[in-house]
Amino acid sequence: MTSRVMRDFDLLLPESVPEVLELLADHKDNCAILSGGTDLLVALKFDYAVDNVVSLALVPGLDDLSFDPDQGLSIGAKVTIADIVKSQDVKTYYPALWQAAKVFATPQLRNTATVLGNIMRASPAGDCSLALYALGGDLQLKNASGVRDVSLDDFWLSYGVTARQSDELAISLRVPPPTAGQKSAFQRMTRTTEDLSKINAAVSLTMADGVCQSARVAMGCVGPTLIRLPKVEAMLGGAEITEDLLGEVSDMVAAEITPIDDIRSSADYRRKVAGILVRRVINLALTEGNNQ
Amino acid sequence: MTELKVVGKRVERVDVRAKVTGGALYAADVQLAGMLYGKIVRCYDYAHARVTSLDLSEAAKCKGVIKVLGPKDVTQKEYNASVLDMMVSADMRGVLGDIDDQSIFTDHVKHYGDAIAAVIAISEEAAERAAEKIKVTYEELPVYMTAEAAKQADALQFRPEKPGNLAFQLPEMAFPDNAYAWGEVDKSFDEADIIVEDTFYVPKQKQCQMEPGSYIALYDDQERLNCWTSTQMPKLVQKKLANLFELPMTRVRINATVIGGGFGARLGMVLEPETCALAMAVPGRPVKVLSTREEDWVTSPSRHPGKYWMKMGFKKDGTPVACDAKFENYKGAYYVDASGTAFTTGAWLGGMYKFDSLRYRGESYYTNQSICGAFRGYGNPQTNFVMEQMIDRGCAELGVDPIEWRKKWHKGVGDDGWCIGVPYNSCALDECLDRAAEAANWTEKREKYKNQTGTKRRGIGVAVMNHTSGAMPMLLEHTVCDALLHQDATVTLNLACSDMGQGSHTTLRQVAAETLDFAYEDIHIATGNTDAAGFDIGAHASRTLYVGGGAVKQACEDVRRQLFERAALELEEDVDNLYMEDKIIHVKGSSNKSISVQTIADQGVNNFMNPETGELIGQPGQIQGYASFFPPHNAPPFGTTIAEVEVDMETGEVKVLELVNAHDVGRAIHPGVVEGQLDGGAQQGLGMALTEETYYDDKGICQNNSFTDYKMFGPSDMPKMTNILVENPDPTGPFGAKGVGEAGLVPPVGATANAIFNAIGIQILEAPITPEKILKALEDAND
Repeated sequence: MTSRVMRDFDLLLPESVPEVLELLADHKDNCAILSGGTDLLVALKFDYAVDNVVSLALVPGLDDLSFDPDQGLSIGAKVTIADIVKSQDVKTYYPALWQAAKVFATPQLRNTATVLGNIMRASPAGDCSLALYALGGDLQLKNASGVRDVSLDDFWLSYGVTARQSDELAISLRVPPPTAGQKSAFQRMTRTTEDLSKINAAVSLTMADGVCQSARVAMGCVGPTLIRLPKVEAMLGGAEITEDLLGEVSDMVAAEITPIDDIRSSADYRRKVAGILVRRVINLALTEGNNQ
Repeated sequence: MTELKVVGKRVERVDVRAKVTGGALYAADVQLAGMLYGKIVRCYDYAHARVTSLDLSEAAKCKGVIKVLGPKDVTQKEYNASVLDMMVSADMRGVLGDIDDQSIFTDHVKHYGDAIAAVIAISEEAAERAAEKIKVTYEELPVYMTAEAAKQADALQFRPEKPGNLAFQLPEMAFPDNAYAWGEVDKSFDEADIIVEDTFYVPKQKQCQMEPGSYIALYDDQERLNCWTSTQMPKLVQKKLANLFELPMTRVRINATVIGGGFGARLGMVLEPETCALAMAVPGRPVKVLSTREEDWVTSPSRHPGKYWMKMGFKKDGTPVACDAKFENYKGAYYVDASGTAFTTGAWLGGMYKFDSLRYRGESYYTNQSICGAFRGYGNPQTNFVMEQMIDRGCAELGVDPIEWRKKWHKGVGDDGWCIGVPYNSCALDECLDRAAEAANWTEKREKYKNQTGTKRRGIGVAVMNHTSGAMPMLLEHTVCDALLHQDATVTLNLACSDMGQGSHTTLRQVAAETLDFAYEDIHIATGNTDAAGFDIGAHASRTLYVGGGAVKQACEDVRRQLFERAALELEEDVDNLYMEDKIIHVKGSSNKSISVQTIADQGVNNFMNPETGELIGQPGQIQGYASFFPPHNAPPFGTTIAEVEVDMETGEVKVLELVNAHDVGRAIHPGVVEGQLDGGAQQGLGMALTEETYYDDKGICQNNSFTDYKMFGPSDMPKMTNILVENPDPTGPFGAKGVGEAGLVPPVGATANAIFNAIGIQILEAPITPEKILKALEDAND
């Protein structure tokens, strides 16, 4: 049950990344990182109790959103969903991410919520996280002793649990540069327009001469974490994408997911529509997902 | 009628500036010196349990705590938060079987969120922290979430005086055979060529008003109980609190604060009893109680959910011969409004079509759900979902156009209205249907959508409704209004009618200005203080403009009569020979004999002696108009909605493309206000049809008492919408007006369901019609 009153905690306001890392090292698990706060502040009025909240509000240098054709896209820890929607580069080169950001939550939340916050939340429903999963990317996790890169492929361990250590701060996410013939798209289903996804899917396809060279297919709300569909990816890789193939792909999807009944939908329904959603998102990528 | 000067104009709403700028003072904004804060401890672990121990001692020791209260520390008197029992005679109360079965705090938890105890502390934080220290142990009891479960022979009984957990059924004494009926239904079915029958489910929809429950109470040093609340019904809540705390009405004062939406959720009492009980425990200190959204959800009433069975018979030529129906609602933990909705759900059914015979039975069963009560439409949306789908199924079997059938068979002027024996006195439903059909391209689209084969299929559907303006003659309808003429010829109206956002204070002011032939700016409405205002039922049943407006009109006519009488004395003319223009009263045919309203008003107040003659100048006495108004009828509003949808056959998703609403509003006193009511009503109607339902797990724990998981239609979900106002003045309404507060919600429910039926050829029997249900129905149809 929610309360009108937040739990007591110490709000810590470091002014540099090293200061953040020092605080994280001090407080470890008894500490939450506050950036957009759209999930954290709600949790603090529910049953989440933590004694220290480290705010990134005064930390400079974390709001960089930059694109370089050779380096790819770099998303800093404080980049908001609204920043993504406003980025012409994202819209042009990473359609899946732009499409996910465009429908993410509500305008007010998009102005506040951060992309990296969405990833750190490790929700199996995260829209931007899912699009990035399909596009691929490496997180830069920093602690007092250095930086390590962790691929999104290895980041979400289970529901709400990530590979981030409690003394680490996710500094940025790097998404690889777009490749020739790469097409991506994101699509979701919700109860009403402004809602959490009840099921979502994202794909990134590399096409050459009408043949799919490689595919990354990711789905949300069908398991404890966001998942990729390796069998579907294998079916698509090296194949010409025909209606028949999409029919087979669609049938295969149900075998790769483990949805549950929850408040937003039923396991049964999710199984029924998952294949249709994947077929549709592939078609969307092929028709509107050009990265140029 | 002479030309209207203020009525029918889109004047600036009286509340708009304060609401837009944030200046409106809601109960939560009110700060009083020395204010304390109350936190109510509720049971969120069980929906049905007995409290086996309650330990308040640790909480009492917490910093900042003034008092901790358990069930025995407050009045033990039972009450009924609903006010329906105050709208019928004592005899009728007995016939209906209304009972008081709620208490401030309980040791028998009957629903998720039932109140156990409370803390009063110097701050909200201190109260919350202390509340966590209250230790309660429970003995879990079996839960009964549906009527079917509650009526089982071995089910625990909620109340000894309500065997079988049947809180209410239409009483034999007033309704023979426990039915609201005419004709001989069983015989009539023998004459039917086509019979349709099914059982539907209607959902537990929540009002979702923006302002969660916020209250302040103060038992002051004059031993008066003051309560700040955004109730829809200040005068009835005043009386209810007076009864509960055994005080005369002179010692109970309601300060009615700005209402942040009501829709029925504030009809009667919500947390006024608890807040006042806390205040009585700390005399001289105001106590504020603020609900969280989640708490408000489970402590204020919802729409009545339940199973709704219906059977209809038609002759081959379309003649509706028989309708038989039964609504078994899942009442919730307490009696509140058990009788009202169980009756009206059938009343709206009976008021719609010319069946040769009709029989409706309504039963309310106690369940371990949170309480049901008033919600915009009051049974009408439930009936619309069921009745209108059954009519369309009949039309499909008959092979007739649903609009043509409805035009032929709906009730109209002279037919019995929703109350048998009280005929309709006005009805412009045919014009509503014609204009809506034209605006929606009905005929063309109905043809076009036959035999579709694609993934996305469109459908267009219609529904109609009848409603009411006030609850006369079933319930008391009465409003008192004073109209005080100031010496500068402006008028303050004093009455207790609430404006819960529907715009009634604006439209009442327009009625006053038009009646007096004064400017809109000359009128002020003083409300919010039950010490000063005379009786008023409160805002419900689309009554405020119709009944409150009737009172305003009568009080203003009284002012006008007095003005003319004084002018007649001053001008030495017959009243009949006078007329008023620009607030000057003239003698007909005489260009120079006149007296201004300003002069009469001023002389009435500042009545001086002429020093030369020793005579009084003008007529003494401040003019005050008065009305204690009982309406002669219930001016039935009628309306129709045509909905167009697109259904995704692979996912079951529904997109609402367009709504055309055409309503017989009598007269639109303020067209913008009427359109706002239709827009907002449609939003809630679409929600009920497609997305909205409060639901529980099998232990009775509410799963979605928040906006995260209870999904209403938001602005981005709303379709293109056209509102057509059909103005056919009602003979009894002020300037012909009918109530429009609820009507807009009703027909979008049935029209949306029928549009889906038109698109996919299958009727979905359970609301809300979710993609999950559509997809399952499509699969079942293919099996």
